[in-house]
Amino acid sequence: MSEGSLTILHDISLTINQGETVAIVGASGSGKSTLLSLLAGLDIPSAGEVFLAGHPLHSLSEDARAGIRAQYVGFVFQSFLLLPSLTALENITLPAELAGDKNAKQRAIALLKQVGLEARHDFYPAQLSGGEQQRVAIARAFITQPAILFADEPSANLDANTGQKIEDLLFDLNQQQGTTLVLVTHSEDLARRCQRQLKMQAGRFVDASATDDVSQQEQTHVG
Amino acid sequence: MWASIAWRLFWRELKRGELWVIAFALFLAVFSVVSLSGITQGVKVALEQRSAQFIAADRVLGSSQPFNPEIIALASAQQLQVAQQMQFDSMLFSAEQMQLATIKAVSPSYPLRGELILHRSASLTEGERAQITPGDIWFEPRLLDLLGVVVGDTIELGSIALRVGGVIVNEPDAPLSVFGGSPRALMHIDDVMTSGIVQPGSRISYRYLLAGSTVQLDSFAEAVKPLLTVHQRWRNRDQQSAIGGALDRAERFLLLAGLLGIVLAACAAAVAANRYSQRHVQAVAIIKALGANTATVRRIYVSHLTLVVLFSLVVGLLAGQVVLWLAEAAILHYVGDFRPEFSLRPLWLGSLTCLLCAGLFAVRPLWRLTRTPAIEVLKQPAVVMSFDRWQLITGGIAVFALMWLFSGEWLISIGLFLVCGIFIALLLSIAAILVKAAKPVAAGQSSAGKLALANLRRRLWANSFQLITFSLALFLALLLYFVRAELIGQWQQQIPEGAPNHFLVNVNETQRTELAEFAKTHQLQPEPFYPVVRGRLVQVNENVMREEATKEDRTEQQTGIGRELNLTWLDTLPSANKVQAGQWFTAQSTGEVSVEAELATRLGLTLGDSLRFSIGGQEVMAVVSSIREVDWNSLQPNFYMILSPDVLQSFPATYITAFYIDPSRYQLVNQLARQMPTVTVLSVEAIISQVQSIISQVTLALSFILVIIGLAAALVLVAQVQATIEQREQELAILRTLGARYAFLRNALILEFTFLGALAGLFATVLAEVLLLTLQQRLFDLPFSFHYTLWWLGPVSGALLVSLLGWWQLRQLLRVPGAVLIRRVLQG
Repeated sequence: MSEGSLTILHDISLTINQGETVAIVGASGSGKSTLLSLLAGLDIPSAGEVFLAGHPLHSLSEDARAGIRAQYVGFVFQSFLLLPSLTALENITLPAELAGDKNAKQRAIALLKQVGLEARHDFYPAQLSGGEQQRVAIARAFITQPAILFADEPSANLDANTGQKIEDLLFDLNQQQGTTLVLVTHSEDLARRCQRQLKMQAGRFVDASATDDVSQQEQTHVG
Repeated sequence: MWASIAWRLFWRELKRGELWVIAFALFLAVFSVVSLSGITQGVKVALEQRSAQFIAADRVLGSSQPFNPEIIALASAQQLQVAQQMQFDSMLFSAEQMQLATIKAVSPSYPLRGELILHRSASLTEGERAQITPGDIWFEPRLLDLLGVVVGDTIELGSIALRVGGVIVNEPDAPLSVFGGSPRALMHIDDVMTSGIVQPGSRISYRYLLAGSTVQLDSFAEAVKPLLTVHQRWRNRDQQSAIGGALDRAERFLLLAGLLGIVLAACAAAVAANRYSQRHVQAVAIIKALGANTATVRRIYVSHLTLVVLFSLVVGLLAGQVVLWLAEAAILHYVGDFRPEFSLRPLWLGSLTCLLCAGLFAVRPLWRLTRTPAIEVLKQPAVVMSFDRWQLITGGIAVFALMWLFSGEWLISIGLFLVCGIFIALLLSIAAILVKAAKPVAAGQSSAGKLALANLRRRLWANSFQLITFSLALFLALLLYFVRAELIGQWQQQIPEGAPNHFLVNVNETQRTELAEFAKTHQLQPEPFYPVVRGRLVQVNENVMREEATKEDRTEQQTGIGRELNLTWLDTLPSANKVQAGQWFTAQSTGEVSVEAELATRLGLTLGDSLRFSIGGQEVMAVVSSIREVDWNSLQPNFYMILSPDVLQSFPATYITAFYIDPSRYQLVNQLARQMPTVTVLSVEAIISQVQSIISQVTLALSFILVIIGLAAALVLVAQVQATIEQREQELAILRTLGARYAFLRNALILEFTFLGALAGLFATVLAEVLLLTLQQRLFDLPFSFHYTLWWLGPVSGALLVSLLGWWQLRQLLRVPGAVLIRRVLQG
């Protein structure tokens, strides 16, 4: 992955199987968020291939990748990224509505209950605490019952206690729905809760055993 | 599904106030176009209707040939009201006297506009009202004396006898010329046929008087074309009326000033759309990350803009219409018998303006917004949406299109566009230089003033843009304020308090002394007595002038030839005249003539040409010694030819003079008419009141534009300041964290806007002064004079307005506790 003369990711080859939970760990600037953006189809690599559920993300247009995301992907972001002008319930409903789900509201209400925020369904993000906002974001991520969930530092903006609760919630829901989880974090503790940990440094995996043989396979399979 | 998301987002955005600036800017554009174009149109219609009274119809088709029944049938078929009128000069015979009179014969439906008042008595003030009936003839009062008859007597016209019915009190289309002419009489058209006056070759003017809506009249004018011959032509209303010129100038000025206000509003819409887009970059990225494609996002945001446009359009059209109704009520109040004409023009012009503003100013940032890639969700801070080349280009196209739409002329549009472009480029360079020059002063942030300057510098591009828009807004407001004062001053000067409102014509030598006595007794201030001798120009150098076949065949180029002119002699140049070439008479001047400039051009006369006049069978010669420009708008007797006293003094002359008679003393007019029955008294009170009512309306319209421009300017400022709120929030968070106190931050903020406002005010002042000086010369014919008030009013009002508006918008941000600010900034 290069931008000008800068190459952010080197020799990355990785396959993630369905139902697997994978943590990508590393210090700030190690390239883990860039890798996540490629895996989720938010961006495309300047060289190499990315497949998601068999779809070649690297050769698809922005809109085609949006279609793939709508079908397979859920997101939880570090800074929650809720739409400020929508209520908690409406934020959760949004991806389901975009996918044309007619039962979006019922599902959202059920999820709100699961994350313990049914009483605050008509609150706007600015009226919720950080932890509450992340719970809404988690509910939003699960509403479409995605095949794969990408979480980018889900507890980094929260205090230790709240962070812990959020992580628990994330793993619980993940288990219930049998979702594949790809988690980017700098926290070793959180990473240990995943089946597989990939450590990154300067755009490379440090623990090569955790990845595929690069020389044989220069592509990233996900799902 | 996208529709419900779009609607929900729209509703919330509306509540959050983000869309209001765009909506208000578009509303302002629609509202000002509808009301301005509507008001000007209303004033024009009122003026036309008033002028219609002076021709007793909406339009008049003149002819030297007898009435064509086909034309009358066609007019009736178009649902027009029709009246017929014949006019000719003929001798009237009473038992003892005979007198040449101008006789008008009319059909019963006359007049179609205005009011005909006939009294069955010899008095203008008392008497039973009467209708025009066959067998009767009605006289101008002096004709009773000239013929030595009383009401009820019989006179002869051609082969018939007519009974004197009474006097004409008001005849809407009587000639307004201060020179009058033969005394006037009015009769029924049916009597003309039996009188035997109509003979082959008789000089009779036939007129078809028509009234109806503009649409009907236009369609008739089109349909009647095949029936018209060289003998028929449409009679235009007097183009050189005192009001015509002033209103034309005012209309052009109003529309252009209004247009610049609209451009300002459009700029506000563009700035607000940019900010809206900027604030939604992350939302779009989130929606896309959650699986929406560009088309869905586009639908959502295009629907937002569509709803805003629709809302602004509907409210703008409604509000504009309300203002139109109010304006119509005001015109009705001033004019009295105004019949508003519904026109679609303001509505479609307003709608088109709104669509142009929205389409070319606001669509581009929204379009760019919808192309935000999903990857932006992971980027902090989000991409900055500044003005791009395309937005500037589309904005430029919109401004040009609006200029063309309003002026309707390519040349004016291109000229104005280029001037605006140069102004902007100039302002931009000066702003950049000034802001850069402030760098050494702004180094460090140890005082509020230095922090303010540093802030100005940091937002160089945004500030330059702000500076331009503030300068333009202030410039427009200042220009309008001063032009308004100058226009009103000029108009009032034209009709100063106590300007003569009654002209006295046909005054003979004896009556001149009597009149002077009369004026003295009643404390009236008469204008000078102008002698008048009727004469015909018969030869220019070696060329003998051709006698015309008929009066109606005269073309415009031949005015002044073949008909009698009113010649005068004077030794001093009248006040409304200016010598353009040559020299005014000196005490030694003999055999000289001064010619009015337009007539000189028409006849191809130059200095030194010798003119021969025929006066009562005698011929005199005079050499052109000067060409004069005449202000026909002045309510003074004006002359095409003024001769040096020696040429005409020996001829018998009548005199013209004028008085101002206070409306409360109008009985003096009757007294005068009784005392000197052969003198014609003409009242120009109607014209004066018409001019005054138009001045009031145009003044009102100018004040209205001033308010619109003020609002547009404030809106631009609001939009601009709002666009910097996020950045300011971040800076404030940092400064607060570093321990800056509230008073320090508030002072820095106020100073920043004060600098900006004062600078914009200074630019505006310079621009306004340059333009005012140009206008003074070109438009108002006034000598150069600096507007000293402007030089302090500009910068001070700029500083005050901008600092107040800036502080008012950001005051809440200043009060937010540091911790909350930091949290907001961190949450993005």
